[in-house]
Amino acid sequence: MKQRLLERSGMLRPVLSVAVGLILAAAMMALSGYAPGEAFSALWTGATGLAAGPPMGTHDLAFGSGHIALFQMAQSFSKMTPLLFCGLAVALGLRAGLFNIGAQGQMTFGALAAAAIGMRTGIPAAVHVPLTLAVGAIAGAAWGALPGLLKARRGVHEVISTIMLNFIALDIANYLITHNLHDANSQNPQTPEIATSAILTPLIPHTALTHGLTLALLAALAVTALIRFTALGYAIRAVGLGAEAARASGIAVPRTLIVTMALSGALAGVAGAVEVMGVQHRYAVGIAASYGFDGIAVALLGGLGGLGVILSALFFGGLASGSSYMESLTNVPAPISVIIQAVIIAFVGMRPRPRATPTPAVPASTTPAPTPEPPAERKEANAAL
Amino acid sequence: MPHSDAGFGALLFALLIATLTSATPLILAAMGGILSERAGVVNIALEGLILAGAFMGVAAGRTSAFVGLLAALLLGALLGAVHAFLTQKTRMNHVVSGLAITLLSAGGTRYLFQKLLRDGVGIEGLPQWFFIVLALLLPFAILGLLSNTRFGLRLRAVGENPTSARMAGIAAIPVRFVAVTLSGVCAALAGAFLSMSVAHRFSPDMSAGKGFIALAAVIFGKWHPLGAMVGALFFGFFDALQSQLQISHVHLVALGVEWTNPFLLDALPYLMTLAALVTLVGRATPPAALGLEDA
Repeated sequence: MKQRLLERSGMLRPVLSVAVGLILAAAMMALSGYAPGEAFSALWTGATGLAAGPPMGTHDLAFGSGHIALFQMAQSFSKMTPLLFCGLAVALGLRAGLFNIGAQGQMTFGALAAAAIGMRTGIPAAVHVPLTLAVGAIAGAAWGALPGLLKARRGVHEVISTIMLNFIALDIANYLITHNLHDANSQNPQTPEIATSAILTPLIPHTALTHGLTLALLAALAVTALIRFTALGYAIRAVGLGAEAARASGIAVPRTLIVTMALSGALAGVAGAVEVMGVQHRYAVGIAASYGFDGIAVALLGGLGGLGVILSALFFGGLASGSSYMESLTNVPAPISVIIQAVIIAFVGMRPRPRATPTPAVPASTTPAPTPEPPAERKEANAAL
Repeated sequence: MPHSDAGFGALLFALLIATLTSATPLILAAMGGILSERAGVVNIALEGLILAGAFMGVAAGRTSAFVGLLAALLLGALLGAVHAFLTQKTRMNHVVSGLAITLLSAGGTRYLFQKLLRDGVGIEGLPQWFFIVLALLLPFAILGLLSNTRFGLRLRAVGENPTSARMAGIAAIPVRFVAVTLSGVCAALAGAFLSMSVAHRFSPDMSAGKGFIALAAVIFGKWHPLGAMVGALFFGFFDALQSQLQISHVHLVALGVEWTNPFLLDALPYLMTLAALVTLVGRATPPAALGLEDA
């Protein structure tokens, strides 16, 4: 009876979906007069760094008969980092039946708070780095808990409230970076650069690949452990499968909703903090890009499990960095990657109609009930907007 | 001439016009939301449908505005039908399908924009009053459709209780197909207004969350067409108010915050909508079978 958001059917479905997405993209390129072969070759090089020909310069590493362009590879991993955090944020929410469309705003707030703390000077790095990360997490958690609270106490649907809160977060951030947190040395709307003690050093020099990725992988592990082995994780899964049933079995549903949204927001907040500390070194306009929304695709393709989300973040990270490389090389517009994303989501989300299930004979007594209450668990799952 | 009364009158008039202009796309899209959701199909694809309509109106409307409008509405219908197909035939979660369609529109229009419309040449388009009048009439038409026609009755029946509807000989899927397709037409109309009458050109992301705000208006109006219109006008009013405040250079500083800063004013309509959802409306009851696959 219960309606899950996705049927988790192993690896076959996601892999097929990715294949269909790429094939349709190839067809679209061919139809609009580009050479798909050339474009995909550029996409592959941009995503993995693998290219033919001997290495040139210090950023290329010999590999077989070709080389690895370390910069491109690092670029994919650095794009993967916020995608993984946001994917985990969305996946965690979905486990409780919550559609957190607000990772975007939560990431914005996390980044803003991290920049505000990161720009303080005179704090030793051993304190400054964890402090900045923590502040980013707390800011994201606060912005995430709010829609959780509104849902739990007032029944405001989280899709609507988080969309509104995304706009509000962006407006507040825009105000602060032109006023209280404005970089006095620049005309641009941005915060000052953060102190060196708050910067995450790159793992490969001159790239944006930092231990932020390590942190994201640890977060994936932590989320998986939380869901599988803790009482809270049990409550989250129970609420996700059906709030009514969870309530009946003694789970504090409102509390679970709020805590889940706070944790989800915290993950998105850390994504913002890492972007500030490892990539931009300040809060600048557009820092959250569309990572929060892309996190939805990451979570859905990943099937909501820890390992799945890691693999899907890796794929979308590669797709993001590969598609901009492809655009610069072949002029194929990079938004083709968004189309690929859409097709993948559609194919992952399809659930074949169970065949040959005879229409259940509906007992006469239950048919025309005066107030037809649908099975609550199914209702919760599908987000009654 | 700038007598204070006349000034005030002019300000009110400007506010009224701005409210209508801001509310028009929201009303049109919200009617799409009503049609779809009263039939039991969650429609967060509205955002993408608006964008698709906006793109098509300009892409096909360079020679003739009428052709552009028609093409926009057809594309809206097509994408609406896709949403119906995905949710009804492949049993996809309605929110997931809506997201996929919104992403497809966002990516597709951006891709085609870079390929076809880069020159940014504007179009003459259609007069604004056309859409504004339409937006003021459509809610009444939808109300009439829902409450006085056989199709409207069937639509509500499959939205409230598809099982009972089937017992009465009404198959949910065909009714929902028609409802969601029409929903796409309404949302595309909203998009056509934005691109053909307001901006006279297309720009990526010009829907700017209007599909979601339209859905908030639907909830605000408790799934009633006239209620949703009021919800859209409510948002439109605060949107108009904030732009009037920006123009009039009112300056208000308190607690070290410049409250009349354009960025903070920008947040006003979103904040008010959220506040309205929290306080005024309380717990709204959606159509009983909303989001469920037919039994």
